[in-house]
Amino acid sequence: MLITTLKSRDAIAALVEGKAFIINCHGCKEVGFPEAEAAEMEKELCEAGKVTGIMTTDYICNPDNFKLRLKAYLPQIAEADTILVLSCGVGVQTVAEIFEDKKVCAACDTTRLPGFQGVTPLEVACDQCGECYLTMTAGICPITACSKSLVNGPCGGTKMGKCEVDPNMECGWERIYRRLEAQGRLDVLKCPTNMHDFSTVKATAECKQSE
Amino acid sequence: MKITELFDKGEFVISAEVGPPKGCHAEELIEEAKKYLQNVHAINVTDNQSSVMRLGSLAVCKMLKDAGFNPIFQMTCRDRNRLALQSDLLSAAALGIDNVLALTGDHTFIGDHPQAKPVFDLDSASLLHTMRTLEGGHDLAGLDLVGEPPKFAKGAVVSPCSDSVDAQLVKMERKIAAGAEFFQTQAVFDSEQFIKFMEKAKEFGKPVQLGIIIPKNVGMCRFMNNNVAGVSIPESIFDELKADKEKTKAGITGVEIAARIIRECKPYCQGVHVMTLGWEDKIPSLMEQAGL
Amino acid sequence: MNYPKFVLKDKAELEAALAGKDNLYVVSCNKCFKEIEMTDEPEAAEFTALAAELGKKITGSVMIDFLCNSVQTEKKLADAIPEGTDYLVIIACGLGIQTVANQKDIPVVAATNSLNYIGSHGMALTPKTCDACSQCYLNLTGGICPIVDCTKSLLNGQCGGAKNGKCEIDGKKDCAWENIYQRLEKQGRQKEFIDQPIQLRDYSKINHKVITEYVNKIRAERLEGFYGGVHPAERKEFTEAIALQKFPEPDEVIIPTSMHVGAPATPVVAVGDTVKVGQKIAEAPSFISANVHSSVSGTVTAVEPRLHSNGKEVVSIVIKNDGKNELHESVKPAGKSLDELTKEEIVEIVKEKGITGMGGAGFPTYVKLQPGKPIDYVLINGSECEPLLTADHRAMLEKADDILFGLKAVMKAVDAPKGIIVIENNKPDAIELMKAKIEGLDNIEVCEAATQYPQGAEKMIIKRAVGRQVPSGKLPADVGCVVANISTVIAISDAIQKGMPLVERIVTITGENMASRGNYLVKIGTPVKNLIDFAGGIVGDDVTLKMGGPMMGAVLTNTDVPVIKGTNGIIAVPTDHTVEVKCLKCGRCSDVCPMELVPMNFAKYVDAGNAQALLDAHIMDCFLCRSCEYICSAKIPLVSKIGAGKTMVMELKK
Repeated sequence: MLITTLKSRDAIAALVEGKAFIINCHGCKEVGFPEAEAAEMEKELCEAGKVTGIMTTDYICNPDNFKLRLKAYLPQIAEADTILVLSCGVGVQTVAEIFEDKKVCAACDTTRLPGFQGVTPLEVACDQCGECYLTMTAGICPITACSKSLVNGPCGGTKMGKCEVDPNMECGWERIYRRLEAQGRLDVLKCPTNMHDFSTVKATAECKQSE
Repeated sequence: MKITELFDKGEFVISAEVGPPKGCHAEELIEEAKKYLQNVHAINVTDNQSSVMRLGSLAVCKMLKDAGFNPIFQMTCRDRNRLALQSDLLSAAALGIDNVLALTGDHTFIGDHPQAKPVFDLDSASLLHTMRTLEGGHDLAGLDLVGEPPKFAKGAVVSPCSDSVDAQLVKMERKIAAGAEFFQTQAVFDSEQFIKFMEKAKEFGKPVQLGIIIPKNVGMCRFMNNNVAGVSIPESIFDELKADKEKTKAGITGVEIAARIIRECKPYCQGVHVMTLGWEDKIPSLMEQAGL
Repeated sequence: MNYPKFVLKDKAELEAALAGKDNLYVVSCNKCFKEIEMTDEPEAAEFTALAAELGKKITGSVMIDFLCNSVQTEKKLADAIPEGTDYLVIIACGLGIQTVANQKDIPVVAATNSLNYIGSHGMALTPKTCDACSQCYLNLTGGICPIVDCTKSLLNGQCGGAKNGKCEIDGKKDCAWENIYQRLEKQGRQKEFIDQPIQLRDYSKINHKVITEYVNKIRAERLEGFYGGVHPAERKEFTEAIALQKFPEPDEVIIPTSMHVGAPATPVVAVGDTVKVGQKIAEAPSFISANVHSSVSGTVTAVEPRLHSNGKEVVSIVIKNDGKNELHESVKPAGKSLDELTKEEIVEIVKEKGITGMGGAGFPTYVKLQPGKPIDYVLINGSECEPLLTADHRAMLEKADDILFGLKAVMKAVDAPKGIIVIENNKPDAIELMKAKIEGLDNIEVCEAATQYPQGAEKMIIKRAVGRQVPSGKLPADVGCVVANISTVIAISDAIQKGMPLVERIVTITGENMASRGNYLVKIGTPVKNLIDFAGGIVGDDVTLKMGGPMMGAVLTNTDVPVIKGTNGIIAVPTDHTVEVKCLKCGRCSDVCPMELVPMNFAKYVDAGNAQALLDAHIMDCFLCRSCEYICSAKIPLVSKIGAGKTMVMELKK
């Protein structure tokens, strides 16, 4: 799951050379899209006479549908010097590949919400680390619940049970410790020193099957 | 010399801690050390402490060694992946620096380069394990090292006055399992709390150096209470510092407090580690008053 | 494309993880983002076999769609785990494992490893990925991502490792920077790239604080009021400020004998008869039905099947309008004040005057007014959550007194101590006016609801306004509530105060492709064609016409059909061209379903012809709000599949 935020007006203004065609992707709108801000920015651009057309669609990342909907807008796109895409990076790349000869610009920054698409953003996150530690840690993820992703216990940065990075963030290892204690399972921490294996990316690539 | 040899001989081991400057000139630091730190057993050199970029720990360790001191190379896991950490450990060994203190390191967000990518490929426990692995003649990939393997005195840290002591003890035990041979603690201001901690920690059978910071003034203490992890300063110390402002300003009160804590805790620990925070000049009087 | 999110740990890993543990209850996630056939995930069976091999006792198991959906998971695990279970073995990605661990006190064992993909693919699974770096670089690189496509995520050009345009770590992988140069060259933008300042990544932008705040906000909003729901573009600004106007007299009206749920009414007039406004022209033959009245004065020219907006031919009474609008003698006020009327009399008036639910479904209102159960609340539905429509909004602004009168009548009829008018917060003027109107009335209040489709559905209104949940298969009356639409209570008011039956209603004529727009008082039976012609016709050549709103409205292919009692809008909108692709199991449909169902399963069971499975999955709870189809990333026509599924279930029940 991703958070999409609008780039600054100055940054967007610098992107738009001549006239722009704007594409909004509302597919993930129910979870995160700066709808009101985007509408305002687009209105300003329109009033400045810099827009050849606006298209609002969903799931640019589903190119079969996107191309079908695109047909009605091709003349307006032909008129534009820049295509301004308001979507996550996947959407921008998809548009850029369709219009290889055009300047395709991202009007948004996409911020990673740790943990991929569940059904909706959750209080818990999974970083797909490839080496699940949750049995040892009573179901609290040390990779995402600890800001340093430590796998051998807390660092010394905990203050009043909170993380040194953000006093609103609970120390993940403190939570792990408490839950293990409540379950009478502190012994599990006597396992050998953990070293995270970052090479699992490769195993994943093998598992992923392309069409 | 390995600091562990001193512990083995039953010495009460005294170390001080210095922080390298932001710049490539450590001459002043060396001069200060020559002036005030002649009587300590070893000198810790911090590694980009608080995630603030500075001259490297290893270089300053080497300079201190050349000046006749016994350095302890502090190593954090924040800035290097396991290749760099192992390589730097070998570099240390090659330069004759054989005391290494393994730390996880503060997060980059709280330092002067918050934009930096925090590494944390390894952590303090796995870094200790890494040292032990190298001592066994091979690296983390299982490949043999050429020639005689390095040998380190492997140190780690623990916070006896942390608000979550239980979790600290668990981590301490894990560090020992990973190869830690001695411990230096976070600054202690409450002897009772330290003694209570040591009652549990002594079962592990590893030497522990009491961490000491000389309290400079009320403001500093309040700041540490609010912001520094593992530090909790009792109200009585604030009262002492408030009693005579001139005496406090001159550092006399602070040294008295620190010396008292050392005297109270000495029977329960195997050494003391002083974090000077710029007050290197107070070390001689502190040692004298503490009876060291 | 197949992106499995997790794999079962291998035998050695599992053996270690399960050492000394026994009495296992197995929870497995049975759905995730995969473009594969809709079958049960295989890992649970694999694990069970392995556990048997290791001599472990399994106390039970459950497969749950989307373990990460904490609301649904909690419900499904509520009473599932038997006594004597020592460990929960979870087969899921890390999200599912943590979700269960947070809900249960029993220790969990992770039986799986989540797989590590670089970047997040889109909702619809593409080979493109986005690493969500918070500082999109695509503008510098011609739309090729240097973060995910370059294995070193370099930002300032290639490393020296490429050989023949391929990456040093994988001879099959293109060097991203090679591709970036080529694309920039094609676009004549290489100079622009060279002139860019040196790029340094800012890792502090991916900030725990920002993310936590965002997640908390989303979670709070999602679970406020009711589960699920969507926010389609409202586009109400087209007509919300346009005052009601009387629609011109039609030359002819076509009044169907069926504009309601239940049996069609029986015509009581014949060709050649003269009728007046408000005269009963067809009579309800049974309990669940409704009388039908003439909306004009004139002559009956036909009683015959005519096309209805539901696509079927329905017996209709066609009347030539004489334009005189002569009232029938039955149209006279009740002659008693509300206080004097008994509840039986109110019910009788509502029945006689042919009043049905005017929000769309068309259930005979007098039946609702005899719930046979104690009623605590009468809820007036002023949410009007359908995009584009503003009929109820205008009614609240212009007929507030009638609404209050109608509400009081309903409260009296069902003996309800409390009345609540529920209005979405996108209509602040209506909220303000209604609040002013109820000042001093302690038994009526206004509830401001967050704007969220389908807020206007009966069960959602009840949940939002009084926090009660209507159980599966039950009615609002079962939880002490009666819900009525704004237009319905206005009709009740007219029936009591003027004796006027339901012969006219407010219709919003709108949409991007309608030449002009507005809110009109339209006589029942007026052909849709008249409305469109009056509005100046349809603009554009690729247009969809609907009766009702864009979400639940019925597509109109023939404009000869008449306006009926439930017609709240006639809209002309651009046709949406989509193509159905295979279900990706993204879970969005179950995320937005306000009835907490898993709509993708309906599509699967309908395709398989499995009526029993549809029944078991509570298909009959679905009220066809179209949220699932709206959100579907694979563009599966879920509503028509569910419609077919409901028919299958009805047949099964027979």
